Amino acid sequence: MTTLLQVDSLCKSFGGLQAIKNVSLEVEDGEIRGLIGPNGSGKSTLFNLISGVYKCDSGSVRFDGADVTNWEPHDIAAKGVARTFQLLRMFTEMTVLENLMIGQHCHVQYGPFAAVFGIGRVAAEEKRLRDEMMELLSFIGLADFAEVPASEMSIGQRRLLALGRGIAMKPKLLMLDEPAAGLSPVNVDNLMSIMVQLKKRYGLTVIVVEHILKVVMDTCERVTVLDHGEKIAEGSPAHVRDDHAVIEAYLGREMDDEEVRAAMAG
Amino acid sequence: MNALVQKSTASLDALKRIHPLMPWFASFVLLLPLPLLALNDYQIYLLNVICIMIILATGLNIVKGFCGQVTVGHVALYAIGAYTSGVLSVKFGVPFWFCLPAAIAVTMLAGALVGIPSFRLEGAYLALATLGFAQSVEIYIRVTNYLGSASGLGGIAPPSIGNFVFYDYFRYYYLVMPFMLIAVYASFAILRSATGRAFMAVREDALSAAATGVNVRRYKLIAFMLSAVYAGLAGSLFAHMVPGYVHPNNFTVIEMVTLLLMVVLGGIGNIWGGIIGAILVTIIADLTRDFYFYQLLMFGLVIVGTVLFMPKGIGGIIDRYFVSKRFVAAREKTAEQKRAEAAAAKSGES
Repeated sequence: MTTLLQVDSLCKSFGGLQAIKNVSLEVEDGEIRGLIGPNGSGKSTLFNLISGVYKCDSGSVRFDGADVTNWEPHDIAAKGVARTFQLLRMFTEMTVLENLMIGQHCHVQYGPFAAVFGIGRVAAEEKRLRDEMMELLSFIGLADFAEVPASEMSIGQRRLLALGRGIAMKPKLLMLDEPAAGLSPVNVDNLMSIMVQLKKRYGLTVIVVEHILKVVMDTCERVTVLDHGEKIAEGSPAHVRDDHAVIEAYLGREMDDEEVRAAMAG
Repeated sequence: MNALVQKSTASLDALKRIHPLMPWFASFVLLLPLPLLALNDYQIYLLNVICIMIILATGLNIVKGFCGQVTVGHVALYAIGAYTSGVLSVKFGVPFWFCLPAAIAVTMLAGALVGIPSFRLEGAYLALATLGFAQSVEIYIRVTNYLGSASGLGGIAPPSIGNFVFYDYFRYYYLVMPFMLIAVYASFAILRSATGRAFMAVREDALSAAATGVNVRRYKLIAFMLSAVYAGLAGSLFAHMVPGYVHPNNFTVIEMVTLLLMVVLGGIGNIWGGIIGAILVTIIADLTRDFYFYQLLMFGLVIVGTVLFMPKGIGGIIDRYFVSKRFVAAREKTAEQKRAEAAAAKSGES
């Protein structure tokens, strides 16, 4: 196994708030990695730093053999990093199919001039793209909605679509920011099976941020836990679940019965 | 109505099967006899103006409708195209066929200049910056003697091919109309390709577009330059049309509002919408020219009304009709497939 993504002592602060403190992270090729932590622990900030949306203060990000620290987002995307957003950020006025087709932007070989003059070649390329994306749409189960504007999809469908847009980019690394938020339990199971299939079908490496711990515990091989911008634990789901620091970060310090009674009475 | 739509889409598909460019050739042939139907010279003049306005509105639609950049400086680009062409023709005696590409090139550069503020400015702020640009261009023309200042620049030679001179509106139509068709075709080809998708992605969500691999700045610049090409083409065609006279009054904010109305009424981000808007607004503006002073009030009200009650314009309504039709068709197809599968399974059991 080779290291695909290597984050080295990354720091980022917004004014006085240090959102990420010295976080280092190594993700191996073909791994499904979970990233968890309480609200405000810096998970999304870490995603934004890796995908180039934010510029880091210090530290470095290496991806697939290149130093991509502070690259422009579109260059990082072209290098093979796809991501979804917590708030989805779909192209709502575009159709579902177009939303996927835009994911292929880096792989399209022609420019605006060819579109005007190279009628046959461009048409063939567009048709290939369209067919490929229709296939992907049936994989995520939205084939019926191909021509419908994304704004008319439900939240659950949009989450699937966001996932589809990530896959359409044919990335090496797919970063999912809370893919199960707002999904019904049935859809959560559905999403988990898609995530596992992703690895088999497309050979993807996945980093997933999720609050529904079931998703992380059942699909991820390794889990990294952040709290207040620092990495507090890393390891297999079972290991992390029993880690003292993690429990404390999520639930607070353990109290015995006497202490609880005292706190409630007081 | 339904049958008519079905028939026309079917015949369009049949044309496309012969050659992808066939529908465009067909519309060229259909548009050829149009000036013969006109009652007088004035109506032919209107046809020419409509063609020029279609080019202009299509260009504005690219940058505003598809790329989502709120620009009010389009009319200044139109002026730059017209005056570049005019000056080259009047002062240097350059023939039309060299004025046109020069005008397009100069306007494209100006378009790039207008586009640069869009890297940092958005929405109303970008509108203000481009409005400032438009006003500066207009005022510069008004006070520059070399450009004819407030009395306009006259004596721009009509274009010619060999001995054939496009010296009246009837002849000029056969120059403007093909250019209009080519421009509209090019906008269709570009906007329905990956470039058009990138424009729309930038419009919808620039951050998300960047994360998907779209170089946002590059595509904003391309959109501005492309729309400037259209403005330059329209400007040059306007300058060389009889009587070969351009005046700063042709390029005021009022013209810009009219242009905006075309795009908004027709449908932002809808190529057909822009064209329908250009035709409608030019005709309406002409019919109501007796009430010139109320025209701007009327246009303003129509813009507000459209934005409030029909945000996607006329084109949006037409689009919606086709989308819902295709959706129903896709649904029926899947349902039928499922029924067929169920039937096959049943027959397999028995």
